[in-house]
Amino acid sequence: MSAVIKARHLILAHFWSAFVVFFAAILLGEWQMVVRSPMHAWVDLPEHYYRAVTGHGTAMAYVFPTLVAMGFGYSIVELALKQALIGLRWAWFAFGLLAVGALMAVATVAAGGASVLYTFYPPLVGSPFYYIGVVMVVVGSWIWVGLMAVNLHAWRKANPGLPVPLAMYAATAGALLWAWTAVGAALEILLQILPVALGFKDRIDAGLARVLFSWTLHAIVYFWLFPTYIAYYVIVPRAIGGRLYSDVMARLAFVLFLVFSMPIGVHHLFMDPEVGAGFKYVHSVFTGMVAIPTLLTVFTICASVEIAARLRGGHGLVGWLRALPWNNPVMLAVTFSFVMLGLGGAGGLINMSYPLDSTIHNTQWVTGHFHLIFAGAIVIMYFIIAYDLWPHLTGGALRNFTMIRLQLWLWFIGTLVMTLPWHVAGLLGMPRRMAYFDYSNPTIAPEAWTVTAAALGGAMMVASVVLFLWVLYRAQRGRRMVLTAYRFSVPVHPVLVVPAPLNGFAVWVALMVGLTIANYGVPIFHLLSLKTSVPAVFSRE
Amino acid sequence: MSEDAPARIGFKATLVVIAVGAFAFTMGFYILPSNGAGATDTIWQRMCRAAGFTRTSPGSASALASPVFTSVIVPKDLYVGGTAEQIGHGATLALRCAVCHGAQGVSGGDAPDLAAQHPEVIYKELLDYQRGARTGGVMNAMAASLSADNIVDLADYYASLPPENAVLMSMNAPALVRVGDPMRNIAPCGSCHGTVDHKKGAPSLNGQPYTYLNAQLRAFASGVRRNDANADMRSVARGLSDADTVLVAKYYAGTPR
Repeated sequence: MSAVIKARHLILAHFWSAFVVFFAAILLGEWQMVVRSPMHAWVDLPEHYYRAVTGHGTAMAYVFPTLVAMGFGYSIVELALKQALIGLRWAWFAFGLLAVGALMAVATVAAGGASVLYTFYPPLVGSPFYYIGVVMVVVGSWIWVGLMAVNLHAWRKANPGLPVPLAMYAATAGALLWAWTAVGAALEILLQILPVALGFKDRIDAGLARVLFSWTLHAIVYFWLFPTYIAYYVIVPRAIGGRLYSDVMARLAFVLFLVFSMPIGVHHLFMDPEVGAGFKYVHSVFTGMVAIPTLLTVFTICASVEIAARLRGGHGLVGWLRALPWNNPVMLAVTFSFVMLGLGGAGGLINMSYPLDSTIHNTQWVTGHFHLIFAGAIVIMYFIIAYDLWPHLTGGALRNFTMIRLQLWLWFIGTLVMTLPWHVAGLLGMPRRMAYFDYSNPTIAPEAWTVTAAALGGAMMVASVVLFLWVLYRAQRGRRMVLTAYRFSVPVHPVLVVPAPLNGFAVWVALMVGLTIANYGVPIFHLLSLKTSVPAVFSRE
Repeated sequence: MSEDAPARIGFKATLVVIAVGAFAFTMGFYILPSNGAGATDTIWQRMCRAAGFTRTSPGSASALASPVFTSVIVPKDLYVGGTAEQIGHGATLALRCAVCHGAQGVSGGDAPDLAAQHPEVIYKELLDYQRGARTGGVMNAMAASLSADNIVDLADYYASLPPENAVLMSMNAPALVRVGDPMRNIAPCGSCHGTVDHKKGAPSLNGQPYTYLNAQLRAFASGVRRNDANADMRSVARGLSDADTVLVAKYYAGTPR
């Protein structure tokens, strides 16, 4: 096969739209930090602040990572299965649906029709165009899920009995996770919010809506995380000159995410009295179980990195660290990603512990936590995915590695400067989602520096994204390079046979659905049986 | 890899998941609910409470169940505060209320104090009484004849009355008020009702009569009072033991408004 990816126009459309949306959304985020810092007067209309928060959240949560996952997924179909993408037209249709939906949702928010935050918050209800836009984004991504399954099926028929390549196995696991996790929010929008937004009803069961959203709210984070984890396993070991320590361990980590990331969302509702303490405890326990695939990953990737170091002549108990290719952007990025994943994960232990959560619930701590994980650990690997695939998508070479290293350093330092003070602010009790603070109040004044720091860190992240886009643009426009075939990581032991359950998904999907029913069935039934509802409150200009 | 390895990985993983689930459900629905309050409950009642079901008092809830659910949208203007005219009109209307709630909104008896109460709270309760979502004593009859404007003016009037010196929460406040008891699904009282924080819609409880607070907590626990959306207060109150109910009611009754 030729070295350039055949479906490159499709994939480039996904990546460029993703990164343009990302850039616009990060500017909104930085604006929010500046206007509520002591460096700026109070925002004139708080409505503008919440509009910006809704736009930022919608773009960052629903549009940007979905486009990256889709583009990366299509690339994996071609590169790992070594077959042309089946359903190219459907893929373009899904992209179109997603693009129109995203524009419709964001335009509605910009026009002031739906300052409801991306988490929807019924009984707050905005313009139906916002929700229909979000549904179109989700439906577009479901077409992608179908295409991943169809392509895998075709490959299996052509290659009976062979192990599915790891990258494809993982990408399909991510697609299946997304298909199921999006159901909660879809039910909430279609059955609860849209009938109200369209004027058929004027009441909404806010408690049930929150439970349904929690179904989506936590597992969606693992959907964002999947491309990052795939990059850890199939890009990092190859890019730094090592071998993947264990193919089976990788598969196990991905299917465990499939099983454990679903039945845990109630940890977002620890302070909601309408959900029973028993279910809060159960969800807390299963949230703890998600640490297992993460720890498996940290172990496997560290072992793979050590293999690279020893192949490069490293020796000693820790002396091998010096032998690592620290100038290599991938080495740098995976290190930064792990540091941020570690810090974010440690903070997450507080959030997921039912009794400890009350200390930081609804404070700036939570914002700090998920920005550290998403913006930090996850997105920095999205950069690497783009850098790694770019020559094979555009035919252009990435030449300025100094600029890439600067970009990654800026992102890393910027994320830490932004998120660590937020954790401190949260411990001091600063609530999240505030449009402004009265810094002249002596009890609030000591928290002022944390907001200034966040604005400063955010500015570094904006600069980093400008560099990122510049590097990609330069490479696409720059000199052509002679490409060798794209390669994924090779495991230490060649993969000849894979245990059947780790070559398919039946057991894991059954466990995922079964655990969802066990952990969500009764809370949903309970709230349905209460039959309470509250009047909708419309957010419209 | 041995021949039978494939089947075993899926089987073992399923066993692990079932074991974790069994552990979590046993802890969450049997062992933890058996500690602390409600130790006289049957196992079934404990499990129902852990699952979030609030209606277990025999007979009471279904017999007294009000068919009307609370349904109040607070007008935005209420948060801005009333005009002098509205407050004056509210003061005139409040002459009817003064017999129980006091001339300046401080009852001096068992009826709740209304002075400096959050306006949206008075607004919601009056509407709930008017529509039958809350039932109690003479209040349904008193609220029946009020117009929508009357209710806003009364809310503005009572909100405008001065509080006593506001106090910051003392570390001597009961743990239930300061930090709650997550294992019994009890959020800290103070994070909604003051003095840790205030959540829009939750009444300020400082300085309210002990008898009133005690009676309302018991009414929520038994399901007699049910004008709380999603049964939030019913869920919290059901987790309180007799001693807890007395403790928090006394604490708020003894805290200056």
